[in-house]
Amino acid sequence: MRRGPGGDGSRARGRAYPQVMGMTRVVDLLREPARPKRRTAGYVIALVGPALLVLVFLPFREDLQPLTIGFAFLIVVVAAAAVGQLGPGILASIVGFIVFNFFFLPPYDSFVIARAEHVVALFVFLGLSVLISALLARAVERADAAEAREAEIRTLQELSRDLVVQGPGEETYRSLLENLVESFGFEAGALLLQEEGIGLVEKLSVGAPAGSLSPSWNPADPGRPPERLPLSVGNRNLGLIVLAGPRAPLSASESRVLRAVSDQLALVLERDRLLRTATDAEIFRQTDRVRRNMLAAVSHDLRSPLAAIKASVTDLMDPEVERNDTQRDEVLRTIDAETDRLDALVANLLDMSRIEAGVLEARPESVDLLELVTAEVDSACTRWPGIRIASQIDGDHAIVEADPVFVARVLSNLLDNAAKAALRTGHPDIEVRVGRHGDGVAVRLIDHGDGLDPLAREQLFYPFYRLEERTSKLGPGLGLAIARGFVDMMGGELWVEDTPGGGATFAFSLPAAVRS
Amino acid sequence: MTRILVVDDEAQIRAALARALDARGYEVDTAADGEEALDRVATGSPDVVVLDLNMPVMGGLEVTRRIRAWSSVPILVLSVRDEEPDKISALDLGADDYLTKPFGVGELLARVRALLRRTDAAAEKAPPVFRMGSVEIDMGAHRVSRAQEPVHLTKTEWALLESFVAASGKLLTHRWLLEHVWGDGYGDDVEVLRVFVSQLRKKIEPDPQRPRAIITEPGVGYRWSVRPVAEGA
Repeated sequence: MRRGPGGDGSRARGRAYPQVMGMTRVVDLLREPARPKRRTAGYVIALVGPALLVLVFLPFREDLQPLTIGFAFLIVVVAAAAVGQLGPGILASIVGFIVFNFFFLPPYDSFVIARAEHVVALFVFLGLSVLISALLARAVERADAAEAREAEIRTLQELSRDLVVQGPGEETYRSLLENLVESFGFEAGALLLQEEGIGLVEKLSVGAPAGSLSPSWNPADPGRPPERLPLSVGNRNLGLIVLAGPRAPLSASESRVLRAVSDQLALVLERDRLLRTATDAEIFRQTDRVRRNMLAAVSHDLRSPLAAIKASVTDLMDPEVERNDTQRDEVLRTIDAETDRLDALVANLLDMSRIEAGVLEARPESVDLLELVTAEVDSACTRWPGIRIASQIDGDHAIVEADPVFVARVLSNLLDNAAKAALRTGHPDIEVRVGRHGDGVAVRLIDHGDGLDPLAREQLFYPFYRLEERTSKLGPGLGLAIARGFVDMMGGELWVEDTPGGGATFAFSLPAAVRS
Repeated sequence: MTRILVVDDEAQIRAALARALDARGYEVDTAADGEEALDRVATGSPDVVVLDLNMPVMGGLEVTRRIRAWSSVPILVLSVRDEEPDKISALDLGADDYLTKPFGVGELLARVRALLRRTDAAAEKAPPVFRMGSVEIDMGAHRVSRAQEPVHLTKTEWALLESFVAASGKLLTHRWLLEHVWGDGYGDDVEVLRVFVSQLRKKIEPDPQRPRAIITEPGVGYRWSVRPVAEGA
């Protein structure tokens, strides 16, 4: 079978090929076996055998006991019945009966029998012959039936092996369909599945262009109607297998095998459906958990600055407290800083929901990182007074194709994370490096903080998954997730490395601008 | 000078509270985590501990448990709205009161003063007398009167009243009250407690519909909030 130029398909067929070869042989057994031929041979034996015996024994008929010759005729009967079953056996009995009587029972060459004991012998011969023919025929028939059943079972096993062995998916269904088409001598086949609210939809087809195999048959069509095998489990109708091709109608055993295969396919389809449902449920459960953790974390992170602001404002509102300008200034500065923190958090949350909803779109343009990084570093320096940020920018490799707003958000998020790590550990130096990276440009933010624990690494990819309920804080997860989302949208990559000597290095790459 | 220990892992909250308390003449000490808090309680002997519940590594609950193992310093727990179960556990473990973030400095100071008063009152030991409108409660004389008429309190009502007065200003959880007044094994019969508190209010509150003495903290417990009149019986 050589159909379709697809690389995938040929690989699948290559794997299935030896099985198909084996199956073709097996299925041949299913096509009505060589019984007619054997029957003819039986009849030949029934006719030729007695004639030969006459030729052989005629010269000696005076010297031999009629009973001895009768046994020789019995051999012919057994042979005819063994080869050709009941019909030839009976024929051999009758022919033997006549020939034995005519040639070997005195008076010879007539049907008259002189002695009574010979009459008895003749009819015993007839009775025995018929009995033996019948018994043999039944034995042979049973053996044939057993063989046929075995062939059916083997065919079924061959066909359904893929279903059991291979994982769920279209590839499995396709290889089964290919095997069915090939081993049963069809030309084309299609798998149609019942889709909710739509009806039957063709899932895949082999040997015919997609959609060309219709389950309904036009009586005006000169060809044979296609075979239709319904797929159902319990009361649920899952779909249909359609097989078409110029071949004889299915034999009873072929239909049995095909029905069994389609039942198995139906079970597998149902299993795959349930598997999908289970997977969906698991995903939903995890998403739900992530959402709950995230909600707890967000509410904590929103309330902390709010608590500081509320405490500071109510502090200032108290008229009974004497305060000098410096003290008043300090309180106001706290309020200011905390308001900024709230604002940044709200901006991040909005970005996150926009990224998740897919409503954000990068508007790439030519961006000079020299400018952008310098601006972001300056603003980070005012946000984090205790931090020293040194930047080292390769001006020849600083023009990228990117969305400037996104890049600014990525930079400020990463700078904030680095600053927090630096403050936490008392190593206030942060380095920003911009340089060539493959065909593009990479920005590296190097801190000398306490480095990344494995949890943080994981959070880079699943920002809220591992949040513990007890210390429900967003940590660096949200900012990193957003940075990653933005970088992804601009066709870049975000990754993390260990800083030599301790600390973390967050890096992201962007495509270089096309020089016009 | 009264010394207050502020325990919170958020630096800006520590700073804001420290500044506010300092401006009102309290001596402020701070701790950023549980270990440090235990250290400061041991070495600094604060008069009140203001303790955040949600801290990494050692949470506020554990800190409360450990402080209570050897100290009876008043503990004011800070929590956010969705930490009710933790808040109640903290109170059951021996915390004295709680505040939900965000809160105003005025409220924090009021709670702190109430806790300080309780320790002062406990130190004085004189049986207090309360007067609210026409109702007078004399704990020393074991007597309650309403418009000069004596009011009879059952044994259980007295026990309940004494529990409240003894922990004046402190928030008492349902469980604590039930186990203290009724005994072990009654800890979950919140309905019983509700019925008795309502009876007690009818006898001692000037307006039982708007209680002034026994204040309900929804879902948590009750608090005695009347100050005794100066004169002792």
